[in-house]
Amino acid sequence: MEFLNTFIKAAFIENLVLAYFLGMCSYLAVSKSVNTAFGLGLAVIFVLGITMPINWVISEYLLSENGLFGVDLTFLRFILFIAVIASMVQLVEMVVEKFSPALYAALGIFLPLITVNCAILGGSLFMVSREYNFSNSIAFGLGGGFGWFLAIIAIAAIREKIRYSNVPPALRGLGMAFILTGLMGIAFMSLMGIDPAAYASN
Amino acid sequence: MAETAVKEKEPLFQFGKKERHLITDPLNDNNPITVQVLGICSALAVTSLVYPSFVMAIAVIFVTAFSSLFTSMLRTYIPKQVRMIVQLVIIASLVTVVELTLKYLNYPIYKQLSVYIGLIITNCIVMGRLEAFAMANKPWRSFLDGIGNGLGYGAILIIVGIIREVFGKGSLFAGSPIELKIIGPTVDYFINTTDSALFGWYTNNNLMVLPAAAMFIIGILIWIQRSYNTKLVDVS
Amino acid sequence: MYTTRYVIGFILILTASVAVALTGLREVTKNKAAQNEDIFNKRAILSAIEDYLPDGKKVSGLSDEEVAQIFAQMQQPVLNMQGEVLDGVQAETVDMAQERKKPEAERRLPLYIYEHNGENFYILSVRGKGLWDEIWGNIALKSDANTIAGAAFDHKGETPGLGAEIKDNPAFAKEFEGTKIYEDGNYVSVKVRKGGAKNRTHEVDAISGATVTSDGVSEMLYRGIKYYQPYLEEIRQSEKAQGLLIQ
Repeated sequence: MEFLNTFIKAAFIENLVLAYFLGMCSYLAVSKSVNTAFGLGLAVIFVLGITMPINWVISEYLLSENGLFGVDLTFLRFILFIAVIASMVQLVEMVVEKFSPALYAALGIFLPLITVNCAILGGSLFMVSREYNFSNSIAFGLGGGFGWFLAIIAIAAIREKIRYSNVPPALRGLGMAFILTGLMGIAFMSLMGIDPAAYASN
Repeated sequence: MAETAVKEKEPLFQFGKKERHLITDPLNDNNPITVQVLGICSALAVTSLVYPSFVMAIAVIFVTAFSSLFTSMLRTYIPKQVRMIVQLVIIASLVTVVELTLKYLNYPIYKQLSVYIGLIITNCIVMGRLEAFAMANKPWRSFLDGIGNGLGYGAILIIVGIIREVFGKGSLFAGSPIELKIIGPTVDYFINTTDSALFGWYTNNNLMVLPAAAMFIIGILIWIQRSYNTKLVDVS
Repeated sequence: MYTTRYVIGFILILTASVAVALTGLREVTKNKAAQNEDIFNKRAILSAIEDYLPDGKKVSGLSDEEVAQIFAQMQQPVLNMQGEVLDGVQAETVDMAQERKKPEAERRLPLYIYEHNGENFYILSVRGKGLWDEIWGNIALKSDANTIAGAAFDHKGETPGLGAEIKDNPAFAKEFEGTKIYEDGNYVSVKVRKGGAKNRTHEVDAISGATVTSDGVSEMLYRGIKYYQPYLEEIRQSEKAQGLLIQ
């Protein structure tokens, strides 16, 4: 039950893109068409879902004072987290290249960009500061990834449609994408503060 | 460090037109935020006040400059297969240096920036410059390129910070030693809205405090920039 | 192409040298950083009695040494849930975030007793839940253990401009000054009321648009101050006795 709560919260209420504005670079760069956005969104779900529990284990059993070394090594968390993320992305890259060359061609240079997607590292850092337990870290990873996926599909769909509108030339493309994201963020604010746990217990 | 630098043939610290261009180009034509669309996340989260934006800008300039320098010095030794991990290790350690230094020098700001310090690692500007420039250029020029891009990023951060703080809080540089109180409902402020005949209607704009406001402001900045600089207009 | 041995060797040397350099830097900065954190937390506690600091100073006007000195002069008992003073613990060593994770009956309560111009102030620490995450605060009571002399709040991740106003808007904390936690000898606490306070002795105005955070503050105050009840009752009794004596 707690698993489901954390998942829903991470996906909708505390959406990494629309509530925290994380992972903006690839979100804005790859959202020109729904097809590529779909692929990148799936890759993000996968990477977040895998790295989150691994980083949880690292921070709990290697870096904390009660961990393997018995000393507080939290200052090394940036390096370890990013190393885990980079290797996982490399893995995804290899898998995608092998099983779906079409998707690989479409995502092209964006796959390595997942490594520098703030949502991935940000997710891990949030997980540490919110003191989630192991199963919640998985839920948070999958939910956060799913929320990111939804957000990028939504903006890509809007951007595909808005091409037929008469936007001032200087605002076309990037400028409009920023303003749209801002509006979506404000819309998402109406979901905040909803506590799925409270509904479950009632 | 010295051994790699000595190998360069041309003068080490040349500063001519080309080098100046490395610094000025990212400020407008090739701005990391408004043109290259890199490093947006931290631009949104920390800019509700000017002072944290300023500290963030300094931190990013430090990280871009030195990661470019180190990567460029190591560029001939870095194995291509693992270059991303090597770059990330360099960036992550520089960010850890920033974190430790902030904890040492100014704890309240460290608290305020919290997870966003760590997110400098995934600030795509840093990675982007390493891939695009430092891996193919000599250390001194890479260093300048790093500073230039850091400055271009910092400039936007501070512009957004000023707009958001003045309209959202009625102050400037809050939290720093030179805090200015501009407009607000008490006597501490330069314009006191409770007894001023002219500004009695004024209240702070709460929208400016939300991260979404940064999206609008950057969107409008892009609009303004592209109206003047038409070669940047997106055709798609 | 590089050989695998070269790649592994390169990575190992790089990470090892980086780790050594960072550990060195951390060792150098560790003590000062810990001290900074300590002073930062102490300043947060002192902001509850901002109006009563020595020489009329503000918290931001105090130097680190002055902050440390004020804490050295304060009595810092730690109470258990029965209101008994625990031996050998200083209040400043109690971590409220850790205490909140314990079962209620086992929590320890830090108390700071600050003296200003011959009057005692009791600073209580409370912690609860806001909209997104934890919120906490320090409440200073005057020597009657009833009137609030000042309050200061902080939060982990409330929405800027809405819930975060409990910290960012000084007017919110200011409202608590002069409110009372007892009515006719019964504990009622102070409530944050949506739509404007009706009874200024026990209510303050809520932050518009931040209902959940405001309710969180009410709940935190009610429960948090209640923990201190046994001890506060003792003070109130002895104050009453003293008052009778003077009369």
